[in-house]
Amino acid sequence: MSTRDLVLAALFAAIIVVLGLLPPIAIGFIPVPITAQSLGVMLAGVVLGAKRGTVAVLLVLLLVAIGLPVLSGGRGGLAAFAAPTSGFLIGWVFAAFVTGYLSERLISRSQTGLVQGAGFFLAALTGGVVVLYAFGITYLALITGLGFKQAFLGSLAFVPGDVLKAFVAALAGRAVMVGYPLLPQRA
Amino acid sequence: MNTLYVEGNSLLHRLSARVKLLALALTGIALIFIISPFALAIAALAAGLLYASLRIGWRQSWLRLRPVFLTIFVVAVFAFFVSSAHEAATTLFRLTTLMLLAAAATATTTIGDFIDEITLAARPLERIGLVKAADIGLSVGLVIRFVPEVMTRYRAIREAHAARGLKPRPLTLAVPLIILTLKSADEIAAAIDARGIRGQN
Repeated sequence: MSTRDLVLAALFAAIIVVLGLLPPIAIGFIPVPITAQSLGVMLAGVVLGAKRGTVAVLLVLLLVAIGLPVLSGGRGGLAAFAAPTSGFLIGWVFAAFVTGYLSERLISRSQTGLVQGAGFFLAALTGGVVVLYAFGITYLALITGLGFKQAFLGSLAFVPGDVLKAFVAALAGRAVMVGYPLLPQRA
Repeated sequence: MNTLYVEGNSLLHRLSARVKLLALALTGIALIFIISPFALAIAALAAGLLYASLRIGWRQSWLRLRPVFLTIFVVAVFAFFVSSAHEAATTLFRLTTLMLLAAAATATTTIGDFIDEITLAARPLERIGLVKAADIGLSVGLVIRFVPEVMTRYRAIREAHAARGLKPRPLTLAVPLIILTLKSADEIAAAIDARGIRGQN
């Protein structure tokens, strides 16, 4: 990894930490308040691509593990990995990777804005919602003995907020690509 | 940035980070195989006594443990209604034990000790060419250094919105924040390379 890539990942990790310091916002039609931190995970993928995005998220989790209260709500320390919802935390790594990988595959600079936006949305939705929930729900079901069905139903309240975040991530991903393109091109 | 480390001279403070992390990992695995709620309740009590021996204080402990404990509690209540009291008690005591032990390890290990341990653990990965072990400490240092910087930029962007009478929206805040922050990457990377911090590339 070049020094520039390392610095980009570290800078993005700092952005994810700062997004966690912002107060959660309540939106009318969504049952639970949403935090900006998991938006940061999708953004890491759409802006930096698979490799650097994954490293950025790994760095955030490393800070958590060594005892810095960098998760939203001032959570941190190894205890953050002992919660029934810790699968979502571990899933962040794979969410950023899949979002980044799909972004690299689906989006090229020659496409029109609409196609790029749709590609980013699909990438953020697959990584940040489908993959993330697969990890979160599996962990929740296994660690608590709730069973998959109950764990799935219990997590549903958070899905609308995360779909909305995927949408924001898609628009932001395109805007950053226009302003300061960093996404590696595979397609 | 505040850390969750607490100064002290207890037995846990004096134990090496490696021993604590290994013990935590092994207990975590062992806890999965204990299925008796009674045994798990005793384990939770023992973990509670260990945590209490660190003398962090009720208020501070509550502030630290509240977010994780509340998630455990909510899930246990959910399990009580959809599954059984047995399942709920197992979940509650198992995860509470793990949370208390993990919080105790975090409170008694400095960031420096953690980073030394992680760097050491990364050595085998370095040998197969996956990561450079020394990069881990460097990156962690960089992130800690950048957080206040990014926060300042975020405030400046908010103020710019206010000055123009614009309503702050996620998109109009996030995009300039990302572009402004990432644009400094080249300078920082050049500064790191100019000082030869990462050795030969």
